[in-house]
Amino acid sequence: MTGIGEVLPELVIEVTPTFVISTALATRDFQDVHHDPELARERGSAGIFLNILTDTGLVSRFVTDWAGPDALVRRISLRLGVPCHAHETLRLTGRVTGHAVADGEDRWEVSVVGANSLGDHVTATVWVVRR
Amino acid sequence: MTAAIAGIGATEFSKDSGRSELALAAHAGLAAITDAGLRPSDVDGMVTFTMDANAETALARELGVPELTFFGRVPYGGGAACAVVAHAAMAVATGAASTVLCYRAFNERSGRRFGQVHTPDGVDNGWHYPMGLVTPAASVAMFARRYQHEYDVTSEDFGRVAVLDRRAAATNPNAWFHGRPITLADHQASRWIVEPLRLLDCCQETDGAVALVVTTVDRARDLPRHPVVIAAAAQGSAADQFTMHSYYRDDLTGLPELGLVGRALWAGSGIGPEDLSALVLYDHFTPFVLVQLEELGFCARGEARHLLADGTLELDGRLPLNPHGGQLGEAYVHGMNGITEAVRQLRGTAANQIRDAEHVLVTAGTGVPTSGLVLSR
Amino acid sequence: MIEEAARELAARGESARRVARDPVNLPMIRNWTEAIGDDNPTYEHYAPPAMAQVWTMPGLAGQRPADDPLGAMVAVLDEAGYTSVVATDSEQTYHRYLSPGETVEVSSRLDGVTGPKRTALGEGWFVTTRSTWYVGDEPVAEMMFRVLKFRPSGVAGTAIRPAVSSDTEFFWAGTALGELRIQRCGGCGRLRHPPGPMCPSCRQTRPGYVVAAGEGTVYSYVVHHHPPVPGRAAPFVVALVELTEGVRMLAELVGVPPSEVHIGLEVRVGFSRVDGELTLPVWRRR
Ligand SMILES: [Zn+2]
Repeated sequence: MTGIGEVLPELVIEVTPTFVISTALATRDFQDVHHDPELARERGSAGIFLNILTDTGLVSRFVTDWAGPDALVRRISLRLGVPCHAHETLRLTGRVTGHAVADGEDRWEVSVVGANSLGDHVTATVWVVRR
Repeated sequence: MTAAIAGIGATEFSKDSGRSELALAAHAGLAAITDAGLRPSDVDGMVTFTMDANAETALARELGVPELTFFGRVPYGGGAACAVVAHAAMAVATGAASTVLCYRAFNERSGRRFGQVHTPDGVDNGWHYPMGLVTPAASVAMFARRYQHEYDVTSEDFGRVAVLDRRAAATNPNAWFHGRPITLADHQASRWIVEPLRLLDCCQETDGAVALVVTTVDRARDLPRHPVVIAAAAQGSAADQFTMHSYYRDDLTGLPELGLVGRALWAGSGIGPEDLSALVLYDHFTPFVLVQLEELGFCARGEARHLLADGTLELDGRLPLNPHGGQLGEAYVHGMNGITEAVRQLRGTAANQIRDAEHVLVTAGTGVPTSGLVLSR
Repeated sequence: MIEEAARELAARGESARRVARDPVNLPMIRNWTEAIGDDNPTYEHYAPPAMAQVWTMPGLAGQRPADDPLGAMVAVLDEAGYTSVVATDSEQTYHRYLSPGETVEVSSRLDGVTGPKRTALGEGWFVTTRSTWYVGDEPVAEMMFRVLKFRPSGVAGTAIRPAVSSDTEFFWAGTALGELRIQRCGGCGRLRHPPGPMCPSCRQTRPGYVVAAGEGTVYSYVVHHHPPVPGRAAPFVVALVELTEGVRMLAELVGVPPSEVHIGLEVRVGFSRVDGELTLPVWRRR
């Protein structure tokens, strides 16, 4: 039974260069900072890093892994923090923080934090309908 | 020449002196005056660097020097080192003063570090600093790259200067790097600062002060220390000269302003490269040590790397270089500690004493209008 | 000027709709789920909602349409010296899940521009856009997207600026116009850089200038690693270039990895605008 305060199972992503590049390309993001380490460094980064569309996808996966295949994701709101470079470990943790009925649906608010060695990479709020 | 160095003094060399630059200047100044067997009231002239933050008046007040009849300053950073002695020598030769205190004092490590990014004034600097060439290391690296290209010189060739300096510093108790020699492998493993310069190609940053007393040879003979005679002193600025950025000359692999100084020194002293007992060459960055050896006629253009590799310049070699450890090994006091080392060698009181030292060449900052000295027993 | 441009762009409302390259399709969905590691079986029948924007990404060769409000606002801020960008927030709302075979279209508008604000990265403006994805006339997803366009700390405030005199102002006036100017003596015609008031050849004091072709070769160069330099990301290359006109000139060499720079590299001048008062020449590979 879902309830406010419920803690979601942690999701740990080993952010390999392959992960950074394959997710960037799968989200059709061809910016060089997501696949070319030399150019990424030239532009002032420590190396290639995750793109935002992948963050959105990971937060979605993290919540539906918990909520189940029938759940419907209605909103993903995210704020970006420190970058997530290749060779980082990204740890997603979450907790149910709210409940509301809207458009005739039971919507749960889940707060998610994705953190790596530099700090919080992404802080998200997800509205999900559990069915 | 009719002038001599009668006294030398210095503070300890550190990374954080814990006191003001004026306190450092006063400490070194008093030590030099005392070393000469004089009293502050004997001093009637002062010369320092344009860059020095301590007013002559302030230092005179601290030391209790009552009257000054001569004071002057020399510009262009470390290029002033030997020139302050030259100016002092001219003052005592003309009678403008009888006893001149030369000094340089700074908290260059704990205070304003030359190796950090600064925004200098001056129209000339506008062609270099805004473009991203912002430190002395970067300015010298531009020359070093071209020198490497034209003469097939490697980073290891530069590294041999650092190894030599640190080997001498290791046995000099006054050196910051006393007891800490390095290998060529250490040099090669040190990080890039501005390619082609590595960390160990760059001199230290130091808090400290050095001072010395110049008077006439005749007067110096009556003082307790054995006088060190200023056999020749010269300054030099060459065609199309810039400060650190003489990039617009046909050739980037020489230091013509130093060549000019060298010729004046040989002519003025009657002493040639073959007569010298030791060399104290300004070493803020290793590449210009090679260029100086060539410019002064110790070897042909592009050949200095062989001189460094074959042992000639080692402490036990034919022509020892920087027996105190230089500014990479002992301390960076804008070249002034090189002059006091030459004095110690000629007095016979150096930490790494060279037997029967008779004539020592000292040079000042490179890449800028510069100066040099030949000092003799 | 920034506020005015923002008001004008916001008043334009929604951009023309842009149609996705492909309809929603299983192969792209499977590439996405495989890469993200999402094994949700629903995605054998529906597209992951988080893919909404993926369908309309411009792709490798694509370009932003001329009426894209974010692109237009970014250009205004670039011009004002706020040259760096970082995404700060995004909020996606999914009205319904999409099925393979549906074709989406997207339309965007500028929601607002606020600033200038002091941030940890430097002074900047927050630019907020809103996009809507449609199937036919039905809105199926929406997104609020916010970026910070900023002037990296130090670039404007402590940018190393040249001291300019009446002898050298022609050079800097030239860079602002995209011209690389070399001083030319009005008496003997000698070219000279850096410039000065009196010709060292003929001692005339009537300097003019020529506009350089802007091409040359690297005569020497350095790769700066340390210490950090405000407004520049190390390592960066500074090159002394011999111009075809015969004078040497110093500038940053951009767009070439340090390992590929060598003496003799052929370069062409470009211009890097720091702000309204300073434009620096830069070298690029020819
Ligand atoms: Zn002329």
